[in-house]
Amino acid sequence: MNPLASIIMSSTLISGTLITLISSHWLMAWMGLEMNMFAIIPMIMKNNSPRAIEAAMKYFLIQASASMLLLMAASLNFMYSGQWTLTEMNVSMASLIMLIAMLMKLGMAPFHFWVPEVTQGTVLLTSLIILTWQKLAPLAILFQITPSINVNIILTTAILSILIGGWGGLNQTQLRKIMAYSSIAHMGWMAAVMIYNPTLMLLNLLLYLIFTFSAFTILIKCSSTSTSMLTMTWNSYPLMVSILLIILLSMGGLPPLTGFVPKWLIIYELIKNTNIAMTLTMSILALLNLFFYLRLIYASSLTLFPTSSNLKFKWKINTPNKMYFLPTMVSISLLFLPVSPMILMLS
Amino acid sequence: MVKFILFMMSVLFVVSFVGFSCKPSPIYGGLGLIIGGGVGCGVVLYFGGAFLGLMVFLVYLGGMLVVFGYTTAMATEEFPEIWMSSTTVMGSLCLGLLAEGLIVVYLKGGDEKMWGAESLVMFSGEEVGFIREDYLAGSILYSGGNWMLLLSGWCLFVSVFIVMEITRGR
Repeated sequence: MNPLASIIMSSTLISGTLITLISSHWLMAWMGLEMNMFAIIPMIMKNNSPRAIEAAMKYFLIQASASMLLLMAASLNFMYSGQWTLTEMNVSMASLIMLIAMLMKLGMAPFHFWVPEVTQGTVLLTSLIILTWQKLAPLAILFQITPSINVNIILTTAILSILIGGWGGLNQTQLRKIMAYSSIAHMGWMAAVMIYNPTLMLLNLLLYLIFTFSAFTILIKCSSTSTSMLTMTWNSYPLMVSILLIILLSMGGLPPLTGFVPKWLIIYELIKNTNIAMTLTMSILALLNLFFYLRLIYASSLTLFPTSSNLKFKWKINTPNKMYFLPTMVSISLLFLPVSPMILMLS
Repeated sequence: MVKFILFMMSVLFVVSFVGFSCKPSPIYGGLGLIIGGGVGCGVVLYFGGAFLGLMVFLVYLGGMLVVFGYTTAMATEEFPEIWMSSTTVMGSLCLGLLAEGLIVVYLKGGDEKMWGAESLVMFSGEEVGFIREDYLAGSILYSGGNWMLLLSGWCLFVSVFIVMEITRGR
């Protein structure tokens, strides 16, 4: 893409999310979301294959429908309550429609069908942006309307998302689709705790962003988009596969790593609100996620898959120059568990 | 009587939207947009927004739809698809019209007498005032609403770049 056009798209993308985050009027929130959406469409279509064009069209249709639902909900709220403030969503029907709009934007079940296909249809960097940056604005809106969210709908969606995120990712070998299903499941965990303690949703979001960003950075550096390509990275970047092990185990929520903190605190918060059956279901379904992360770890670092012998001996190992804060994020993914008492105090 | 006209205009608005959303060829979609734009304008004019209604006519119908019509005429296909030409299009048109008819009957309660606009309108909008809101809003956009103006201008600017990137092809 022309550098000028690329700068304009990126700046519109960033400013769109920022406008939604700082807005107090529904119209500005909508404008920020629209700017976000239409700035990322040419980024999805950059390599111009039919796959990418189809992914861009699917993304556009879903996000445009969700924006229309957002406008309708905001107008309904204005019609019955006379004000446009983002935090005062008092009309229950409007709040319901707004919740559905945001669930569509986030890609949570039952509106999750576009996430694997759009993530797979484009390059790794753009799918990283779709799975991380694009989640910020809808989650910010949901954070601000939490008092009026319909509890049944959001808890149903959360359970369905965790189920579908875990179960759908089991049969995948393409790494972008695996990350997409992982994103669906993490959104489910965030939605489950949102009505009880929104700060924990923010904590989960922050840690999810760190894990996803680290995982994608490794995948981008190793240029691997499928499991079979991941099996050959031990040869070129041996340290990266060890780091990938840490990040994936952390995403799965295993205890001494940081990924355990959000799951633990969410389970604690749900149990404090006597929501025990759902908590049990969520914890069991998180194991499905852990299984396909373990399969990736098995393929990349724990075992050596059969290769030709001239692949086994590399005399020069290049370390990549730009690491995009990977060491910082890996340290956070590995070592942040002892900080959890401070996080409990903050929430 | 005038409220009946408002009701008819609203129904025609939805019917024109149904007419282009059942996806005939774009030139016929443009026809639906023209009718919808004109009638929507009429609704705005009924409620006293003379300035904004005429703005819609000028800018939307007279600017955007003219350009749309010309580009569609340049890119038209040999046998364009009208509302009766394929079962799919005719089926979705009939479905849309049926849904609209059912909603209208539901809203009116099936009552022949009540063709007024009382059940359609939430707030009255019948008062006579000294402030013309539409002119006032048009000027506030440039003074107190400068941030909104800046954003709208930026979005329109960016959309040109985006459309050019999308239609660039290989």
